[in-house]
Amino acid sequence: MDCSYFRERINQYVDGEMDYMEVAELQAHLSFCPDCAAELAQVGEVRGALAAWGRLELAPPPGFAERVTAAVELEPALGAAKPFGQAVNETLQKLDDTLGRIPLPGGRTIPVKNVIGWGLAAAAVAIGLGRRHGRRSRELKPL
Amino acid sequence: MTASNLHKWATLPDPSPAELARAAEGDAQAFKLIVERYQGMVYSVAYNVLGNHTDAEDAAQEAFLRCYRKLPQFRSEATFSTWLFRLALTASVDYKRRERRHPEPVETPELAAEAAPQLGEGVDAATIVAALRDLPEDYRVPTVLRDVYGLPYQEIAEATGRPLGTVKVMVHRGRASLRLKLRAGGAGPEQGPAGARPRSDA
Repeated sequence: MDCSYFRERINQYVDGEMDYMEVAELQAHLSFCPDCAAELAQVGEVRGALAAWGRLELAPPPGFAERVTAAVELEPALGAAKPFGQAVNETLQKLDDTLGRIPLPGGRTIPVKNVIGWGLAAAAVAIGLGRRHGRRSRELKPL
Repeated sequence: MTASNLHKWATLPDPSPAELARAAEGDAQAFKLIVERYQGMVYSVAYNVLGNHTDAEDAAQEAFLRCYRKLPQFRSEATFSTWLFRLALTASVDYKRRERRHPEPVETPELAAEAAPQLGEGVDAATIVAALRDLPEDYRVPTVLRDVYGLPYQEIAEATGRPLGTVKVMVHRGRASLRLKLRAGGAGPEQGPAGARPRSDA
């Protein structure tokens, strides 16, 4: 196998997504291929630098805490009646948290509440069409 | 998330139960103390996901508002800092999905303490900021979530609403692009001050 095969797998290696045999195969290649070994080292350096960056704390802009506190003071008191839109959003969010999500092929997920919503909408359309069809049938009944 | 990063945020001292209870009852001053203690963490997460100060401030504020609203539901199964860290990530990714702004010129952010950190051989804060800034948007968010904060790919896919395979490809391309930029000594010239300082406890 040539280097391109192994280079495509370096990311899987650093993400710990290879099985034992694949790791052994890659390590054997790295032991005699300085170019691939260098690429692996560079990917490791990038990840190390990013992780180190993530451990640093940035200074927020001056007055940030005061602006947040002012925004919080405009919020309705916790436990008080909420605006209708916010109450609806929070209820939907709670439904999402409670019902979870359905995994789809390819790693996508959809909220269970959406599936229920589509089901209810489809049922409503079907009932509406059924009634309309029934009325038409009665109207067209031959004498 | 990367064990070291999770460990770092998890070791920030949590507010006492009494402080949390006061804030959860709507005491704005008690909540302000929480904001002052955690603003650096929340702002850092927002900046790293969004890549500019204006959006980062908006998203960080949104994260604290969500925290305020959800505080009565907080249970101490996770540490408060870990819980808030997740809120900050979610608020930032939601903001990114909602707002499709053209990025503003990026200044190297100020860090919260003295002395310029070395993040690797020849890599400093300005180099990282410039390299992340120049990544295409589609690569930057998944790469930041994966390699800056160590989130699992599945969680990134759910947060960004993209298929798992697509997320992996974006992270791999993001790493490849960053590798070239960091080897070349960073991206384009910086605009504004480069007063990068690490936390005193970093």
